[in-house]
Amino acid sequence: MDMAFDVNSDVTDEALLVAYGNGDRQAAAMLTMRLTPRVVGFSARMLGGDRAEAEDVAQEAMLRLWKIAPDWRQGEAKVTTWLYRVVKNLCTDRLRKRRGVDIDSIDEPADDAPGVVQGMIDADRAAALQAALTRLPDRQRIAVSLRHLQGATNPEIAEVLEISVEAVESLTARGKRALAAILATKREELGYGED
Amino acid sequence: MAKTEHDMLDDMALEAFFEAGRAKPPQPSQDLMARIMADAVAEMPAPRPIARPVTPPARKPVRKPGLLAGLIAGIGGWPALAGMATATVAGVWIGFAQPDTLNTWAGGALLSTSDMATSYDLEDLVPSYGSFDTLLEEG
Repeated sequence: MDMAFDVNSDVTDEALLVAYGNGDRQAAAMLTMRLTPRVVGFSARMLGGDRAEAEDVAQEAMLRLWKIAPDWRQGEAKVTTWLYRVVKNLCTDRLRKRRGVDIDSIDEPADDAPGVVQGMIDADRAAALQAALTRLPDRQRIAVSLRHLQGATNPEIAEVLEISVEAVESLTARGKRALAAILATKREELGYGED
Repeated sequence: MAKTEHDMLDDMALEAFFEAGRAKPPQPSQDLMARIMADAVAEMPAPRPIARPVTPPARKPVRKPGLLAGLIAGIGGWPALAGMATATVAGVWIGFAQPDTLNTWAGGALLSTSDMATSYDLEDLVPSYGSFDTLLEEG
């Protein structure tokens, strides 16, 4: 894409947000292209793969970013960390409502997923991982997703969850252990035994 | 019962799942990108210069000119007013202090040469006054 260079330029998200707050339309386009995939990625992990709902959350989170831009206080938080926190809160609200209505709405990977005989290809693994993530407690899912899928650091996750870095490490470790157990079961269900 | 090694994936196997997840991240649709960009444009503040003066210059209050200022401006401003003042003073001086010199300048047109009085008599103002006096004497 022509815009790839711009989107991946060295200009920080914060500098772009300040430029947007000053009425820079190009900064708006760059922020949209740079941040939307991250926001959608995290919201989709949180909401168990419901794309439509994940996109609604992403749009709402970005809208809040546009609104706060003129009053953005520089140096206090990374833009992505701020966004992750907004997404976390929006998703937590939706999950709470969803559980009150339909407790079994968690997506499971399709039993007839292709490639089960020869081994799990990346798409299958990604689907199995997503399904396993939805079975984790919310805070473990947030910590593991941000750390291992979104590339956030422990201090950033601590800021998102408003807990200590030590608590983040503990959450991540427990989440990974739970994932390892769930995925081991899935591997057997899919007929893909140990290496 | 505690989990055994057979019940759980090791870190390497788990990392393979994370790698797969990172390789196939959920991608935003073009429709979502368009909606978010539309929101951005709708919420975007009006453009303003990035570099602004540290202390913007204070604007001088615009005062409406008063009546006197309007009159002065009407006759040509302060220079015209100074000329008028000079002419007024000169007129007063000519009228009360220098009638003889003025008559000389005027070539005797103002006062008769036979009567070079330096002041006005009553008869100068009321020419029939003398005749009236004679009439009284004659009875």
